[in-house]
Amino acid sequence: MDCCQNESWWRRLTKRVRQNPKEHEEQGPLKKVALVGNPNVGKSVLFNRLTGVYVVVSNYPGTTVEVSRGRGRFGGVQMEVIDTPGMYSLLPITEEERVARRLLISEHPSVVLHVVDGRNLERMLPLTLQLIEAGQPLILVINVMDEARRLGICIDTDLLAARLGVPVVPVAATLNEGIDLLRKKVAEIAAYAA
Amino acid sequence: MLLMQLKPDYPEVIEKAANEIAALLRGSYGLAPRAVALLVLQEDQEVSELVRRQEGDSRWQSIKAQVDAVKAGLDEPVSYTLAVRRQDLARTLAQEVVRLENGRVRTWGEIIGDLTMRPLVGIPVLLLVLYFGLYQVVGVFGAGTVVDYLEGNIFEAYINPWVNSWTEALIPWPVLQDLIAHEYGIITLGLRYAVAIILPIVGSFFLVFSVIEDSGYLPRLALLVDRVFKEIGLSGRAVIPITLGFGCDTMATLVSRTLETRRERIIATLLLALAIPCSAQLGVILSLLASHPRALLVWAGFLLLIFLLVGYLTAQLMPGDGPSFYMEVPPLRLPQLTNVLTKTYTRMQWYFLEIVPLFVLASVLIWLGNITGFFNVLIQGSGVIAGYLGLPPEAGEAFLFGFFRRDYGAAGLYDLASSGALSPRQLTVAAATLTLFVPCIAQFSVMVKERGWGIAFGMVTFIFPFAFAAGFVLNAILMATGVLG
Repeated sequence: MDCCQNESWWRRLTKRVRQNPKEHEEQGPLKKVALVGNPNVGKSVLFNRLTGVYVVVSNYPGTTVEVSRGRGRFGGVQMEVIDTPGMYSLLPITEEERVARRLLISEHPSVVLHVVDGRNLERMLPLTLQLIEAGQPLILVINVMDEARRLGICIDTDLLAARLGVPVVPVAATLNEGIDLLRKKVAEIAAYAA
Repeated sequence: MLLMQLKPDYPEVIEKAANEIAALLRGSYGLAPRAVALLVLQEDQEVSELVRRQEGDSRWQSIKAQVDAVKAGLDEPVSYTLAVRRQDLARTLAQEVVRLENGRVRTWGEIIGDLTMRPLVGIPVLLLVLYFGLYQVVGVFGAGTVVDYLEGNIFEAYINPWVNSWTEALIPWPVLQDLIAHEYGIITLGLRYAVAIILPIVGSFFLVFSVIEDSGYLPRLALLVDRVFKEIGLSGRAVIPITLGFGCDTMATLVSRTLETRRERIIATLLLALAIPCSAQLGVILSLLASHPRALLVWAGFLLLIFLLVGYLTAQLMPGDGPSFYMEVPPLRLPQLTNVLTKTYTRMQWYFLEIVPLFVLASVLIWLGNITGFFNVLIQGSGVIAGYLGLPPEAGEAFLFGFFRRDYGAAGLYDLASSGALSPRQLTVAAATLTLFVPCIAQFSVMVKERGWGIAFGMVTFIFPFAFAAGFVLNAILMATGVLG
């Protein structure tokens, strides 16, 4: 539902004039960090945390229908952070699921953050398995840890990381918990990427 | 103990075919070859098309042969088999790493949340949300108190007289004075509509909507109305674009892409364009009809009837499977004040930036039309149409404005009604017609973008005469029965 994160039509018209083309050339292409995952797990909250750019956040699946982009610093390096609409599977059903997959196919992100809801790990892991199969530079981000803890759910993240062969980082994005550790991990993974 | 990495256990046939297909791939896909192969095996259209284009005809034929062989060898679709195997591993993993302390507790949020999905509790809750959220906050507070204050105490009392006298003092030519000030000036009409009438209404709606959104109520409403929506070719999932339409139909049309089938997306787009008033219209109409509760009921009932009738007929006309409905229901949460405020603020900012240039443009167009006399011709023409609906000719002006933007038309209606020119019956007919009447330019452009020229244009050619016919019929019924005197 995000007309709001779009620029208004007249800004888009004047944008080309205002943009300074030199700026891009000097910096070179930034490395990309893509946020993907099931709907309503908090990708957009995490995006807001990582970039300081506000995109609309709500408590229902399907708030984000288009890709938003912002910049964040990871271990002293600036990278482009990309928020995507939720998807249940790499085999998409709806149009907005297709958006997220197309992004993985066409933009080759240096780091892919699969954001999942800690209260419902079992339902979210199939997508993690697909992303691993697809050879994505993956970090599994277990979000909503605060609510999971309140429900008495404990997750052995080290064991899960070993079983999946990818780093696992628990966070509570709305409380800004675990975000620093996540930034560090992103910087590490991005260092491997060309 | 050395921990082994676990992989989903796919059937041998699929593994073998996937490896053989992967070995054939030369193109670049951004996904690992094996994953591409698996997607091709699941007959994913987009990826298959990509592979066909990149690999050329001869390799594609060998790939296709593999796909057909696997399909013939399995009882179930490949996608289903793979999903089941992955789910198995996910369950194993979850059992291994997740531990539940002191059992799973049911929270109050969950208990209340479940209740709202049952009709006995859900319908009263819906009525409460509509009454307090829409009627009290948007209609009475936003469109009533705040608009009255900004209109009467700020614009009418200070800004307009001040702008009028300054332009008269600084600009010697009356023609140019009219561009900025007086009846249709950029500041006295365009900016006044935007700041004093539209912004408070839209702002109060966005505030209410943000609270509703963040509480997790909408998916519950979706489950509640799923049965009714099925009859009109939609699923409960459509609740989100439709309720969003009460904020801004343009935004909502964009969100209709979350619906699964093309049929559903078309029906939702049509209903949004036809029967869902945007928050500006809604606010103005609620505040205008607030003093005539019966008129308000007639208006709401009439629109609901049109919504269901047109939805039902479209669903009959457009063949297709009924939509399936599956939606995750998030927990009920106490909305975070900071998110509610930021969200309301960013939406208001977006909206304001979107409308101000258009309102200014409208003032300029009206100014040009006045100079050339074209505006008067249009007003007379729409005045005649208004006459058919039993409305005074000035109502034609509001229709003309509404053509340009929904909210602009609503503001025009507000101006007209506050001068006391309309009876309750006329007010109801005008409000209903204006609600049904064409989508504004912004909404139309999104309709074109999302559904294509043909469909968008077809919808508008249907809506235009339909709105006036409906207004005509409503007026005739109200005249005949004398419900509203």
